[in-house]
Amino acid sequence: MTTAIDIRGVTKIYNPNSERPVTALDNVSLTINDNEFFTLLGPSGCGKTTLLRLIAGFEQVSGGEIMLYDDEIENLEPNRRPVNTVFQHYALFPHMTVAKNVAFGLERLKKPGEEIKATVDRVLSLVKMKELGDRRPNQLSGGQQQRVALARALAPSPKVLLLDEPLSALDLKLRQAMREELKQLQKETGITFVFVTHDQEEALAMSDRIAVMSNGEVQQIGAPTEIYEHPVNRFVADFIGDTNFLDAEIVEVKDELVACKIGSQSMFEAANSGGHKVGDRVTLFLRPEKIRLSAAGQGSGADSRPGKIASMIYLGNQAAYTVDMGDGIELTAQARPREDGKMPHASGDDVTVQFSAHALRVLAQ
Amino acid sequence: MSGWLPKSAAGRRWLGLAPSYFIIGIFMLIPMIIMAVFSLLAPNPYGGVEPEFSTAAYVKLFFEYDLEDNLVFNPGYINIIFRSFQLSFGATILCLIFGFPVAYYITLQPEHKRNFYIYLITIPFWTNLLIRTFAWIIILGRGGVIETPLYALGIIEESLRMMYTDGAIAIGLTYSYLPLMVLPIYASLEKLDFRLLEAASDLYANRWEVMTKVVIPLCKPGIIAGCILVFIPCLGAFIAPNLLGGGKKLMLGSLVQFQFASARNWPFGAALSMLLLSAVVVVLIFYARSARKQAEAGQA
Repeated sequence: MTTAIDIRGVTKIYNPNSERPVTALDNVSLTINDNEFFTLLGPSGCGKTTLLRLIAGFEQVSGGEIMLYDDEIENLEPNRRPVNTVFQHYALFPHMTVAKNVAFGLERLKKPGEEIKATVDRVLSLVKMKELGDRRPNQLSGGQQQRVALARALAPSPKVLLLDEPLSALDLKLRQAMREELKQLQKETGITFVFVTHDQEEALAMSDRIAVMSNGEVQQIGAPTEIYEHPVNRFVADFIGDTNFLDAEIVEVKDELVACKIGSQSMFEAANSGGHKVGDRVTLFLRPEKIRLSAAGQGSGADSRPGKIASMIYLGNQAAYTVDMGDGIELTAQARPREDGKMPHASGDDVTVQFSAHALRVLAQ
Repeated sequence: MSGWLPKSAAGRRWLGLAPSYFIIGIFMLIPMIIMAVFSLLAPNPYGGVEPEFSTAAYVKLFFEYDLEDNLVFNPGYINIIFRSFQLSFGATILCLIFGFPVAYYITLQPEHKRNFYIYLITIPFWTNLLIRTFAWIIILGRGGVIETPLYALGIIEESLRMMYTDGAIAIGLTYSYLPLMVLPIYASLEKLDFRLLEAASDLYANRWEVMTKVVIPLCKPGIIAGCILVFIPCLGAFIAPNLLGGGKKLMLGSLVQFQFASARNWPFGAALSMLLLSAVVVVLIFYARSARKQAEAGQA
C-alpha cells in the first residue's frame, strides 16, 4: 500500500519565545494511505486543524517532517504543495464567478485555455453545479457554496484533498446528504481525502480510518468499528458515542474474563483485555446499545440483573433510560418504541437488565 | 410628549435631515452660487465686481486681445490647466505607490498596534499645511538637508536645483495628501477576509498573484476612493505650487488664488473656479459610475 502522507514526529508550538508558549501538536506521527478517506477527529483545540494547516503549508512546523508521496514538503510554500484545501467557511473569491473560482488554480498552473474550460465543466458537473457557473458566490446558498469550494479544490487534481470541517456550516439534512456525496466523490476521483471534524458521527459514517486526537496528541488510529468497539482509553471511548463508565477492582483473572467488583459488593464479569492482575483498579466501559431491558421477571439467565428505571429521555426512534442497579450503580440503556409508538418502559418500572460479559470491557486507567 | 414632531414618517425624516441641508446650503450651495454669479460679472479694478453682465472672464480662459484688438487664441491658461491635471495625476500615482504598502502593512498588524499606526498617520494634520510645506523647502532647497551631505561626501559639486520644479511640486502634493490615500485603502483592506489569501496560495498563486488577483481587486473601492480624495484637492492646491514651484510653475489652484489676492480680477478667478468645479464633477461622475458597476457586480 502506497503512503500518501507520512507525518514524522511533527511538533507545532505557537509563540515559542513568549512567556506562555502553546503546544498545539506534540510529536505527532501518523501515516495516511493512498486513496484513503482519512479523518482527524477530536474536540476543538485538539490540534486537528493545526495538523491540516501544516500539511497545507499555512503554518510552519516547529519540528518533524511531513512527507507527501516521498517528497519532503514541510518547508515548501503552500502554492508549491500539490494539495488543495476545502475551507471551513468556503473562502470563495467574492469578486469572481463560480466558473472563475473553479478555474483559479488551473490558471495559476498555466494550463491551456481549452483544458481549463473542459476541467471546470467536468468538476462542476461532478458536484452538480454546472448550471450555475455564471453566478457569484453571494448569489448561492450555503450548500451550493460548499459544492463550489469542493469543485475549486478538486479542479487542479491535487494529490491530496484537505477538508477543514467543510460541513459544519450546513444544516442537519444537508450535512447528512453531503456525507454520502463526499464519500462517493472520494471513491470516484480516487484522491486521498484528509477530513477534519469534531463530529464523531460524520467521522464514523465516511472514514476508512480515523485518528482520534486530544491535547495535541494522537490517541488512537483505526477503522471506525475498531475505534468504536475497541477504544484504547477512556478519552476515545467517551468522545465516540455514548458510554457507561464504571470504576471497578479486579478480584479474579480467568482466561477470557476477569471478575470485577463494582461499588461495595456487586460482582461483574468483563472481557479480559490482558495484562490485569488481582487488585488492579480499572475502568469498565459498556455501550448503552449492548444492554437489553425487559420487564421485571421476563428475562432469565446468569447475566440477568434487576434494576429500576430512574428516568427516561424520549428521542423519537428510541429512548435513553437511566437504570438504577442498586449499590450506587447507574447505567444508561436504550430501547426502541413498540409498534404502537409507546415506549416499553416508563420511569419507576422494575426491569431486568442483561448484557454479555464480552460487552463489558476493561479500559486502561 | 413629542407633540411638536411631524406626524408623517416623511416629515420626520425631513426634520432629521434638516441640519445637513442647512449646512450644505449655507456653506456649499450659496458660496457656489455667488461664485457662479461673480464669474459672469465685470471686474472692479480695486477688487470685487461691478454689477454688469459680462462673459469676458470665460473668454479670457481661451483667448486674448492682440495689439489690434482682435481676439486670438491663447494657450497659456489651457497649458496651466493641462499641467495641473498632469501634476495631480502624477501625485495621485505616487500616493498610491507609497500609500498602498503602508495601508497593507498596517492591516497585517495586531489590532492594538493598528489603531496606533492609524493615529500616527493622522498626526501631520495637527500642523498647518503651510508650515509643513515650508519644511520641504529646507529639505529640497539649495544647501538643504539633501544637498549638504552630498556636498560633504563630494558626490555633487553644484546644486541639484530640486526646488522650483514640477518634481518639487509633485513631491509636495504627494506629501500633503498621502494620508488621504492611506486611510480609505486601509478601511477596505481591514474588511478583507485574509482566509481568501490562504485560499489563493493554496490554489498555486504566488505572492504577486495573490496581490494582483485577490487583494487589489477586492480593495478596489478603497483604491478608487483614495485616488479621488487625493486627485481633487491636488487640482485645487495652491500652497505646494506657490512655495515649491516658486509661483512660476502655476497650477489651477494657485492661479485662482492669484486672481483674487493679487491680480484683482475676481470674475476671472470665479470663472477658473467654475472650470475646476466642472473638472471635479467629471471625476466624481466617473467614480459614481464605477461604484455602481461594482454594486451591480454584486460586491460591497
